[in-house]
Amino acid sequence: MREIYKLFSAMVLFLLTTGGVWAQYTVTGSVVDERTGEPLIGANILIRNTTQGTVTDIDGNFSLNVSTNEDVSLAISSLGYLSQNFTVSPTNTTLNVRLREDATNLEEVVITGLASNVKRSNLANAVSSVSARELTGTTTIQTTDGALYGKVAGATIRSNGGAPGGGMSIQLRGISSLTGASQPLIIVDGVYINNSFQRTGRATVSGAGASNQDDGANRLADLNPNDIESIEVLKGPSAAAIYGTRANAGVIIITTKRGAEGRTRVSFSQDVGFATPLRLLGVDDWSEDKINFFFPEARRPIELERFRQGVRIDYEDYFYNNTALLTNTRLNVSGGTDKTKFFISGNITNEDGTVRNTGFERYSIRANIDHKITNSIKLGVSSNYIKSDTDRGFTGNQNNSGASIGYSIAYVPNYFDLRPDANGIYPVNPYFSENPVAVTDHAVNNSDVNRFIQAFTLDIDLFKTSRSFLKAQVAGGVDFLQNTTLVYLPEFLQFQRGQANPGDALWGKQESLNTNFQAALVYNWNLGRVNMNSQAGLVRLDFKNDALFNRGRGLAPGQRNLQQASVQEINQQFFSEVQEAGVFLQQEANFDDKIIGTVGIRWDKSTLNGDPNLFYAFPRASLAVNLTNFDFWNPTVVSQLKPRIAYGETAGPVAFGNTFTPLEGANIGGLLGSVVSPQIGNRQIRPETAQELEFGLDANFFNNRIGFEATYYIKNTQNNIQNLNLAPSTGVIITPSNEAELQNKGIELALFGTVVDKANFRWFSRVLYWQNRVNLTRLGIPTYTAGAFGSALGTFLYAEGYAPTTIVGTPADPSIPGGFTVWGNAQPDFNMSFYNSFNIARNFELSFLVDWRQGGDNINLTSFLTDGGGTTRGWFNDDTGDGIPNGRQRPPAPYNNAGRWVQDASFVKVREVGLFYTVPKATVSQAFGGAIENIRVGTSANNLFLFTKYEGYDPETSTFGAQAVANNVDIAPYPTPRRIFFHLTVDF
Amino acid sequence: MKNTNKILGALAMSALILGCNPLQLDTIDDPNNPSIESVSSNASREQIQFLLTGLEFRHRGYVTNVSQAWNTFGREVWYLNASDPRFQTDWLGQAGRTPDRSYFGFGNTGAGSWAAPYQAINQANVLVTAAGNTNVLSPEETSAVTGFARMIQGYQFMIPANFVYDNGIRIDVTAPLNPGPFVNYDVALDHVANLLEQAESSFAAAGAGEFPFTLTSGFAGFTSVPAIRQVNQAILARANAYRNNWQGVLTALEGSFMNMSGNLQAGPAHPFTGPPDAFNPLYYVPDAAVNTIIVVHPSVLADATPGDLRVANKFFEREIPVTITTDATPLVGTHQDARWPTNTAPIPFIRNEELILLKAEAHANLSQPELAVEAINVIRNAAGIGAYTGPTDQASLISEILYQRRYSLWAEPWGHRWIDTRRYDRLDEISTAFDQGTIFRQFPHPQAELNWDQYVGN
Repeated sequence: MREIYKLFSAMVLFLLTTGGVWAQYTVTGSVVDERTGEPLIGANILIRNTTQGTVTDIDGNFSLNVSTNEDVSLAISSLGYLSQNFTVSPTNTTLNVRLREDATNLEEVVITGLASNVKRSNLANAVSSVSARELTGTTTIQTTDGALYGKVAGATIRSNGGAPGGGMSIQLRGISSLTGASQPLIIVDGVYINNSFQRTGRATVSGAGASNQDDGANRLADLNPNDIESIEVLKGPSAAAIYGTRANAGVIIITTKRGAEGRTRVSFSQDVGFATPLRLLGVDDWSEDKINFFFPEARRPIELERFRQGVRIDYEDYFYNNTALLTNTRLNVSGGTDKTKFFISGNITNEDGTVRNTGFERYSIRANIDHKITNSIKLGVSSNYIKSDTDRGFTGNQNNSGASIGYSIAYVPNYFDLRPDANGIYPVNPYFSENPVAVTDHAVNNSDVNRFIQAFTLDIDLFKTSRSFLKAQVAGGVDFLQNTTLVYLPEFLQFQRGQANPGDALWGKQESLNTNFQAALVYNWNLGRVNMNSQAGLVRLDFKNDALFNRGRGLAPGQRNLQQASVQEINQQFFSEVQEAGVFLQQEANFDDKIIGTVGIRWDKSTLNGDPNLFYAFPRASLAVNLTNFDFWNPTVVSQLKPRIAYGETAGPVAFGNTFTPLEGANIGGLLGSVVSPQIGNRQIRPETAQELEFGLDANFFNNRIGFEATYYIKNTQNNIQNLNLAPSTGVIITPSNEAELQNKGIELALFGTVVDKANFRWFSRVLYWQNRVNLTRLGIPTYTAGAFGSALGTFLYAEGYAPTTIVGTPADPSIPGGFTVWGNAQPDFNMSFYNSFNIARNFELSFLVDWRQGGDNINLTSFLTDGGGTTRGWFNDDTGDGIPNGRQRPPAPYNNAGRWVQDASFVKVREVGLFYTVPKATVSQAFGGAIENIRVGTSANNLFLFTKYEGYDPETSTFGAQAVANNVDIAPYPTPRRIFFHLTVDF
Repeated sequence: MKNTNKILGALAMSALILGCNPLQLDTIDDPNNPSIESVSSNASREQIQFLLTGLEFRHRGYVTNVSQAWNTFGREVWYLNASDPRFQTDWLGQAGRTPDRSYFGFGNTGAGSWAAPYQAINQANVLVTAAGNTNVLSPEETSAVTGFARMIQGYQFMIPANFVYDNGIRIDVTAPLNPGPFVNYDVALDHVANLLEQAESSFAAAGAGEFPFTLTSGFAGFTSVPAIRQVNQAILARANAYRNNWQGVLTALEGSFMNMSGNLQAGPAHPFTGPPDAFNPLYYVPDAAVNTIIVVHPSVLADATPGDLRVANKFFEREIPVTITTDATPLVGTHQDARWPTNTAPIPFIRNEELILLKAEAHANLSQPELAVEAINVIRNAAGIGAYTGPTDQASLISEILYQRRYSLWAEPWGHRWIDTRRYDRLDEISTAFDQGTIFRQFPHPQAELNWDQYVGN
């Protein structure tokens, strides 16, 4: 290694002594916006195929020395504008350029490798980019993933429920894994962040079951969406191969805002809004007839007596239909000099939930600093501290405890009053095990996160000639997350009083530490007219988790401290540690922006694998041809036409512990025992591998005003991990296996552009369409059903030739593998989204986003519960006229099978609507002098309207959280809010 | 040159980072548990103790599922559960439902009625192997541990056997990836008897002192090798009754802890001491305003003999009944289980009362009515319902014994009534009038067993 550094330093010395330039002539000129005529500051002027260039000054003017006496071609570019090429010569040295806005994002720079990027017009993959303006420009969304809805073709985003503080899953190009969540890798400024759904313990205390029924938030919720400059979505292996082992489900690369050279800008924004439920269903009324039908004879007198007292309470309305206050305050300070640039932001988000005593608070401070240590060494640092404090309340599944509003009120008739009396005493709920009013008023389900995300990058220009350069990039980061959770049911609750040790507090402390380090060399050189970019590097990842949950039952009145519990218990302690390392090589070749090819390979090893020292190879190759850049093309209508093809391989990691055959600790009668685990570890387990072939066509029309992108992909995964069922009679139940194979095929289409482009009216429109079809091409183990709540209530079929999203259930159908009737499929037929933005009279901006999902079925067990309790609206109607009410006779006949609860979850949502007004500069300066630069006011809405035939609060719901399969089960969820905002932004 | 120094400094820093070779991965062992390999040879005395306690843990794995489900099948109880109606609809066989291979409450593995007992059997095998592959135990100690392991295996094999009954079970289950074939019920029960006989021989070679390892409080009063041997004989008596080996029942009872004048409650138990241990899963707070609870089946109340102390002692009449509405008919539970004073009360798994009833049953089947009646009267007098005055023909005595078993062994974690009525082909005597359900005879093999055969057949 020492020799290499000697060589490097020698090169550096060489560079420093050969810096002279032989200027021969000077080109001067200006760059302005074509539409408005305003000067463009900081536009780039570059002599093509060299590293020489300059930027425009504050008036849009530039001056550039050219080191030869020959004609040269200049590339003029500015962020957000279409670049143009001009030829200058010693006799033609003045250049006044009018750049047009880049309506179709051809100029956008897209990250394509661990140390490289390429502009969109040369891109060979369908990488989706979402800018800050698209992400947060229309309305205020609580979480980053929530702000991606309808903005990425190929992304199925699903909210698990309406509880404040997040809880989203993203599936890119279908299902890549049968186990786990199949969630994309998320990288923020180079840091591999933790986006897990951490345990909260709610499902333990409520009795719902495993932690996937906690309805916790995924930790991307901690990131302030307003800090984000852009998001790039690498949707599959063909684009993400260079990310190797963790990229099967795609990679989401988030880049935060950074400072720019110039005067210091201070921007203050305040949003105030309110939330109400998007959709409620109403509850059923009761009659004496219905009571006599519903209750057993012995019970009828008391029910009739209660009924006749005349109280009527719509519990859905009572619990869910509250108006929640939403506030969001942001302060950004940015600026810098040639040497040092900074972006500092602070954010306070304080949003109540529509259920009382729920809400989400987030405090975020960010400092992004860039500093040139020397002309050739640049250091970038991004620091972000976040505290988020979330109260998500009690909804969803439960067992016995009654600690779920929706579950409890499914059984309570509207003539019984659950509200506390004048003395604050909550009546005993005779219809279920708990009084949900008391739970809502006094129980706690809190998660308090303290988090620090730190990134650094060090760019070193090792040498630079007029035709080539060599750079080293060293980058790394840390994501430290500490989550303190509490689920608390006080001792005076009805269910707790019915327990031997009333009062239940489950405290969790979870710490996770992700660290990553990357070093790369980038060599850019020219081979004739071909620009070559060569990269080599290595990557190191470490993930550590440490969870400790303690539970106390039999609590002293009002106390939550575990030492105030008569029964104290370590509920869980769990450690995990993962180490991974990889090496990558990538070669890009660009022939004059006409033909752009890339080949690359990554080798990865991981301690999760059966053989932790075996390197797995992930190759990639891609080719894009810009037909319109060839001389033979005569651009008339079609201004850009680019066929492209890309191939890549990636993997999905093995779950921690799959290789172990443990002896588990087991306590009995005051002694500790060691018991043989029902899982046998698999020492041969391999990561899930995927290959994807993607091809498509990008076209631009009418001088790049309208763009069109079409992509088709086939993604095949092998070695998919699923548990092989052993014969349970041998005392062991499962061992992880690598047998299954999946195929996802899909289409992604995008049509976008500026429909009208006048000085006082601009209309941008974008339509996205995407669909995916998943198929289990090989199962390798016997057909099985799994997920949700078993065959009687709808479950999922794992059979060769079927989509694993296939919903099956009773009655038996021997003609189907697995032996049950097929009732539906969770996979949507297609998704579409419509985005439009209008700039009117320079000061008004109106935008809206409509999201449409067609097809895809849910298992609606909320209906099952309300039918059981006689509270479904219209329960006592009798459509068949046979004397049996609808609530006891849901089709299809014979009214007792799983098909009753499988419902089409198609919907159209008006996701985002925003109207903003920028106060004219003249008015501002008149009113405030020079103190205020800019004032912008606006109003917006999120989830404004929902159109669906689905019989639930929201067709988007998942009681099991983020899962590859069975993420569409509806059990008494937290209703989705409709959010309305008013905005004020003042720039100083 | 100042810049150059900085560059060199930065490079040196990188070299330092590279110095700890980022491509080198540490070996990561399970940070949470020991591995199974750690005990397979040269286990320490402490490791044997942990495995033995682990066996006691696995030994009670069936309790919750069997108590809730089998006692529902035999209509000793209803497990009322408002949170999940399938505890009613599916377990009671409403609307003609009958068990399939992944029935509700049993999953693909048979859960507490199949997978759990087999986990105990596997744990016992691992214990026997560990005890045999170490030189820290004396031969007597090894025999004592082996005897204990075989005894538990004998007990546990009866659970899957009674679950699937005519369908038969696997008895060759030592190799996880190579299980033996299914054998019929009789062969399975012969295997049970054989294991218990092996346990007997092992205990015989284990001396007469205290058991060499610590047992939980569940074995209070049975801590010596001879006392545990008596437990083994008691289990053998139960197995022999299922084998219709009535002389064998009597012989086994001779060696057991049966005591005609002793405490009927005497016997070993599964302890539940609360965290970090579990709570007694059958305990419910009296009169708790909950809607998930085990209640006494109305037919048990309806058929009770007036003045029966067992009814008074075991059933607690609730102030407000628990009502659950189902698709078929509402279920009303008026009485709950009063056997457990606290949620840390142990649950016995074989008691003197059962042994006396087995004695009565053996004598009745061997046409020794006087001896049968003598045993019956021990039970009747204890229950305060006076001596038996009915006819003493075999059929009448069997009826009487089954009736007494229904109240003496009510809702024990075994499903006695379901098994007993099936043994005597009297399943049709179980009342479905209160729930419009179906009485199951047995379960099919769990789906996972079928899947395995299919997988290896592929």
